[in-house]
Amino acid sequence: MREYAFFLGCIAPNRYPGAESASYKTAEKLGIKLLDLEGASCCPAPGAFGSIDLNVWYAMAARNLVLAEQMKKDIALICNGCYKSIWEVNHKLKHHKELREGVNEVLKGIDMEFKGTIDVWHLAELFYDPAIVGVQKIRDSVKVPLTGTRIAVHYGCHLMKPRKERHFGTTEHPTWMEEMVAALGAEPVEYRNKMLCCGAGGGVRGYDLVHSLDITNEKMINLMEAKVDALTEVCPFCQLQFDRGQIEIQEKFGVSYNLPVLHYCELLGLAQGMTPQELALDLHGISCEPFLKKVL
Amino acid sequence: MARTKGYPEALEKKLADTRLYEDERHPEFTKTVEKISMTIPHMCYQCGTCTASCPSAPRSSYRIRKFVRRGLLGLEDEALTDPDLWLCTTCYSCTDRCPRDIAPTDVIMAMRNLAFKRDIIPVNFLKTVQAIYTTGHGVPNNDVNRAARKKLGLPADPPTTHGFPKYVKGIQYILDYFELKKNADRIVKEREG
Repeated sequence: MREYAFFLGCIAPNRYPGAESASYKTAEKLGIKLLDLEGASCCPAPGAFGSIDLNVWYAMAARNLVLAEQMKKDIALICNGCYKSIWEVNHKLKHHKELREGVNEVLKGIDMEFKGTIDVWHLAELFYDPAIVGVQKIRDSVKVPLTGTRIAVHYGCHLMKPRKERHFGTTEHPTWMEEMVAALGAEPVEYRNKMLCCGAGGGVRGYDLVHSLDITNEKMINLMEAKVDALTEVCPFCQLQFDRGQIEIQEKFGVSYNLPVLHYCELLGLAQGMTPQELALDLHGISCEPFLKKVL
Repeated sequence: MARTKGYPEALEKKLADTRLYEDERHPEFTKTVEKISMTIPHMCYQCGTCTASCPSAPRSSYRIRKFVRRGLLGLEDEALTDPDLWLCTTCYSCTDRCPRDIAPTDVIMAMRNLAFKRDIIPVNFLKTVQAIYTTGHGVPNNDVNRAARKKLGLPADPPTTHGFPKYVKGIQYILDYFELKKNADRIVKEREG
C-alpha cells in the first residue's frame, strides 16, 4: 500500500465532503492510502493570492509543503487549483534558489524550512499511471458498471497547463481521462471545445459573476449538444462552477440544464459500489437523480 | 455580454487617443513585469494567438495581446488602471499556444501584483485574504456541511487548520510578514466603509 499525505484544500472538505470521502475509499481499493495532513490550510487560492502578491502565494504554499516534508510523504490532492499552488510552488522553489531563499527567510519566523524533499501528485494522475494504479486496475475494481450512460469530461486548466511546465503532453485534445471513464463501463463523450475553461478561475467568479457564468454557459451549450447524462471533472472549484453555477445561470440567464456534475472520485465511488448517501450527492446543487436512475 | 465594470473617464479618453507619448513610457515597468512574471513579453510580435485563445475575449473588451504590448512599451498607468486586467481566468490557453514562448498569463499576474501595490484591486480578492487569516481556509466550513460530514463518518471539521486551529498562527505570521492583512482591512474599509 502506497502512502500519501492527502492535501484537502477548501472546497472538497467544506462544500463537497462526498468527494473527500470517496477519495479515501476509492484510493484504498486501488492500493493507495491517504493520510491526514494535519494543519494544512487553503493552498492558497492561486487566482486570489497570486494576483495580490506572488511572494505571499509562494510562502503560504511552502508552509503546506513543509508539513508534508515533515511527514516524509509525497502529497496527493484532488483539486486542480490546489495542484497549481502546491505542485507549481514546489517545482519553482526546488529549481529557483533566489525564490527558495526568500521563502525560507519568511518561514524561519515559524520554525520551518522548505527543503524540497517531496513530490506532489494529483490523485487522478496516480490513478492513471500504470506503475501505480492504471486503467486496468480501475476496471477490475468496478462492481456497478455505469453501463448505458454517456459521460463527458472537463479536464480543467491548472492540472495540465501551462503544458511546457507540466508533464501531461497535449493540452489541445487529451483523452486519458476518457480512458478512465470508459474503465467504469460508461461511454465517454466528446464535445465541442472540450478544453475551454469553466470560467471561475483567476478571481473572475468573485469579480464579475455574470462574465464567469457566460463562459460556463458556453460549455453547457456544447455539453447539451452532445446529449450527455453527466459531466465529470477532477477539480472541486470547477465542480462548484458547473454545479452551483447552473442554478446561477438559471437565475441570471433564465436557462436551465439540470446536468449532474460529479468529481471523478465520486463517479469511481459509485462504480465501486458506494451508495449516493455515502457520497453525499444530496449536497449537490443539481440533482444527480436522473443519472443515478440509469446506473443503479 | 454586457460589461458590468465601467472604465474610469480618464482612461476612456486616453484610449480614444491612439498616439503614443514618450513621457508615458516607463522602461523600468517592462523590466519589473519581466522579473515578477519570469517570462519575456519583450519577445512579443503581436500575432494575436493569445487573444484568439482567450475565453474572456469574446465576451468583453479584455484583450490579452494589448496588455502584453503595454508591458513591452512600458505603459504602466494604462495597464494597471484598466479594469479588464481582472478578467483573466488564468486558464493558460494563451501560454500553451504562444509561438514566442511567452507566458501572457504570468504577465497579467505580474501586472496585478503591481496594481495591488497602488491599491488597485477588486475587494473580492481581499475578502479571501481576510477569510484565510481567520480560519486558514478561503472557503470555510459551515454547519450544514459539518452535519453532512458527520453522516459520512468524517470528522465534523477536516484535519486541516479547521480541526487543528493552533496552525492558524503560522498563517497569520506569514500574512502579517507581508502586511497583507493590514492592507486588506484598510482597502476594504475605504471601499465599503
